[in-house]
Amino acid sequence: MNQDKVYDLVVIGAGPAALTAAIYTTREDIETLLIEKGAIGGMASVTDLIDNYPGFSKGISGLELSDELSKQAERFGTKIEYDQINSIKDEGKYKLLQGEINQYRAKTVLIATGTDYKKIDVPGEKEYLSRGVHYCATCDGAFYRDKPIAVVGGGNSAVQETLFLTRYASSIDLLVRSTIKASDVLIKELQRHIDSGKVKVHLKTTINQIKGENNLVNKIEINQDGEVSDLNVDGVFIFVGLLPNTAFLKGLIDLDDRNFIKTNLNLETNLPGVFAAGDVRSGATMQIASASGEGATAALKIREYLEKK
Amino acid sequence: MPKKVTIFTTNQCGYCGMVKKYLGIKGINYEEVNLDENPAKRQEALTISGALTVPVTVVTKEDDSREVIVGYNLSKLAPAISA
Repeated sequence: MNQDKVYDLVVIGAGPAALTAAIYTTREDIETLLIEKGAIGGMASVTDLIDNYPGFSKGISGLELSDELSKQAERFGTKIEYDQINSIKDEGKYKLLQGEINQYRAKTVLIATGTDYKKIDVPGEKEYLSRGVHYCATCDGAFYRDKPIAVVGGGNSAVQETLFLTRYASSIDLLVRSTIKASDVLIKELQRHIDSGKVKVHLKTTINQIKGENNLVNKIEINQDGEVSDLNVDGVFIFVGLLPNTAFLKGLIDLDDRNFIKTNLNLETNLPGVFAAGDVRSGATMQIASASGEGATAALKIREYLEKK
Repeated sequence: MPKKVTIFTTNQCGYCGMVKKYLGIKGINYEEVNLDENPAKRQEALTISGALTVPVTVVTKEDDSREVIVGYNLSKLAPAISA
């Protein structure tokens, strides 16, 4: 690729916010390059079923939605490169983005890098990564057919992934630090599996340690309201919240106290010409519909910015 | 150009789709082993990769040496298929 070329817009990330922005900008002939380090669709692409995105009366799998969004963006001329951006530099007339593979130049930048799952930082978590400790149910659930597992977390993601994992696991212990905070519709669905005996919920429960044998997890030590015991499980799936992918922006872009990107009402950061949208933005609702909406808003504000220049 | 590429996948795995898409862009043919459809192959995937995860991409080169890439990892996948 021509590394001297200056794009109108480079979008970092390829989740719903990024792809929606690209659909809007490329339709208006704003030359747009998307740069993604992982999966097209971001976190949405590894979500089993998206039931609350408008327009899909029967729900849609994350993979399908991601595929449709990227096809739509590419139909209008969006280009997608696979690279990891490590830094952004303001060079005056353009921003210079340093990737692992290439350099990129852009008049405007949209940061839509989303989030990753948080770790719980207990002994055994790192040692047994992908050998019993997992953060992606749709990727790794198939290895637990007819096996007992635990899921950690009490929010929408934890409950949604628990529901997905019921198709494989023989039993699921859902470990919740305080109380379940998922949406009513998910809780209702979860209740069906609690009633059938497949899922057991442990409230006020945390993990002390993940233990194993022969390089694979075989039990976890839990603390339920002060009482310590072992649970025999072959796998632990962890969904305890989200961390923004903003490490590469430190010192350049203003972040809030949780490292999410601060923006003004135009979704512009402290650095003129650099915008942010979706889950990575401070105040984001972590909803795919909201991310898409922010992507559209950012695209319109970017167009205004480019017109003024 | 590799002699053979095999990918272990599951139906709903987004990163599996990314590996397939990338290989498609590069014009590389591959054999897919879907663990939802062939659960008996899970042990083979574990033995090859040492991990209970997909995608697992096995690149067999002209000299029959083998490279195993766990997950969607372009920095390993790209040189493996071009070597």
